[in-house]
Amino acid sequence: MIATERRRWVDWGLNALTYAVLAVMMAPVFWLVASSLQTNGQLVSGDLDLLEPTLQAFSEMWRNIDFERYLVNSLVICTGAALAATAFASTAGYALARFRFRGSRTYGLTVIGTQLIPGPLFLLPVFLGFVWLGQNTPVELLDTHLGMILVYTAFFTPLSIYFMRAFFQAIPRELEEAAMVDGCTRFGAFLRVVIPNAVPGLLATFVYAFLFAWDELLFATALTEQTAETIPIGIRNFIGNYNEEYDQLMAAGVVSTVPVLIAFFATQRWLVKGLTAGAVKG
Amino acid sequence: MVLVHLLPTAAGVFLSFLDLNTFTFQQLFGAPWVGLGNYDSILFDSANPLHSGFTNAVGNTAFYTAVVVAGTLAGGLGIALLLNRRFPGVRLARTLMLTPWVVPSFVVAVLWEFMWQRDAGIVNKVLVDYTGVVSERPTWLLGENTMWAIVIPSIWRGIPFAMLIFLAGLQAIPRELHEAAALDGAGAWRRFRHITLPLLRPLIAIQLLFGVIYSAYQFTIPYIMLGSNPGPYADLVMTLVMRQSFSNNLFGYGAAVSTLLMLAMFVWVAIWYRAFRRDFAEAA
Repeated sequence: MIATERRRWVDWGLNALTYAVLAVMMAPVFWLVASSLQTNGQLVSGDLDLLEPTLQAFSEMWRNIDFERYLVNSLVICTGAALAATAFASTAGYALARFRFRGSRTYGLTVIGTQLIPGPLFLLPVFLGFVWLGQNTPVELLDTHLGMILVYTAFFTPLSIYFMRAFFQAIPRELEEAAMVDGCTRFGAFLRVVIPNAVPGLLATFVYAFLFAWDELLFATALTEQTAETIPIGIRNFIGNYNEEYDQLMAAGVVSTVPVLIAFFATQRWLVKGLTAGAVKG
Repeated sequence: MVLVHLLPTAAGVFLSFLDLNTFTFQQLFGAPWVGLGNYDSILFDSANPLHSGFTNAVGNTAFYTAVVVAGTLAGGLGIALLLNRRFPGVRLARTLMLTPWVVPSFVVAVLWEFMWQRDAGIVNKVLVDYTGVVSERPTWLLGENTMWAIVIPSIWRGIPFAMLIFLAGLQAIPRELHEAAALDGAGAWRRFRHITLPLLRPLIAIQLLFGVIYSAYQFTIPYIMLGSNPGPYADLVMTLVMRQSFSNNLFGYGAAVSTLLMLAMFVWVAIWYRAFRRDFAEAA
């Protein structure tokens, strides 16, 4: 009797603790949204009126930051890179999941190894290479969408491969074997049987690469100047010019978060499966 | 694909042997060869300001990495344990808890920069005005506290991912193990210590490996929050490399520091491998 009574109290306490921790973790996100709906004067003085939100900061931010340009750049570059990375990753990931070829293990290790390369070590020669190409050939890659897509594709493909491999491993081999018995070629079976079954995985990989590209700053600072600047650069520039306009900065933060938040929660089921499957299996 | 990565990296290491700066920039890869000159001035030339900048950034990065990884793993495991129970709203709580991880780092940096403001920031308002835990308003974005100003948001953003991995691991532990141990009289702590922790060991190992690498390569949060020069207390190796390379045009120097950083990570992987080799014996 006393034992169950005590258990109930412990459970109750742990629940309260859980809700409290959740509240603390969510508080900054709440604060981001709440602040974006106030005027800067209110934020500085502290006279917040959360019941009377205003969208003033959003319209001002849109004008002052020239947000549309950065948003379009980010969307074009990240979509392009995520598409390309997913395409590469689906073929390479399939090969790693299905075939035991010479060096397949080494290849897998190399994929991990690429994560050990510090960004700048990769970036410096790419930057100089882009400059060289611009000077000596008609190929313009510095500060262009194409250049950024190429770099991001190269940078985010390795982890996408790992991601895709976990999804392919979950598809039973018998499916393709049946298709091949029915007269499909290996590649035909891949296209007609495996890919349709891997749609959730492809979608998750796309979102995953997109999330990372969206958040990328290192390459963007060095490889863009005017035409291909992405949102993080826009925000950094804005901080430099209008240091104290926090309502607008928070509004920009909200607008930059919404697309990835939607993409994440729309594909969350598969995304979480891909992330944890890779990790739990080692 | 291997080529796509190895070629630029090799070129990067090559650059570290060149005296590539503002004056020689036009020559690009043809800049004068100085051999180990860049390394010599970074590592051993104590009269060179680049040397002290480097040692300072290394110290900061080591501290940042250790605290962020420890905080992220401990916090993630704690929250995973809390969420691995039955309570009203558990599904919603697990989903909401992921939100900080989905917020892009650059937004995290701007958001916390605003929260850290000395007078208008919510952190000081809570600490000083509402609760009175602290009597003097701390300055977060200048001086010694800048390190904490970048550490805390990094942990906040990292916890959900660690939580996600640990939660998956916890759910894979058969209930019977805990029940059997409880029947034998093992308390909650002993069950955690002798069942949960050993079974989570591979997950802890993996997260240590990647957590250290990602933290050591952190750039976005200090750069957005504190600018291209975050100051002596929060200058990390990455911000140093980028500043010297692209603001001061010391490309050879930047490449040399990056190479050293990569070597440091190789050493870390070797240490990690020795420590956790047994855990992955059957997986590999």
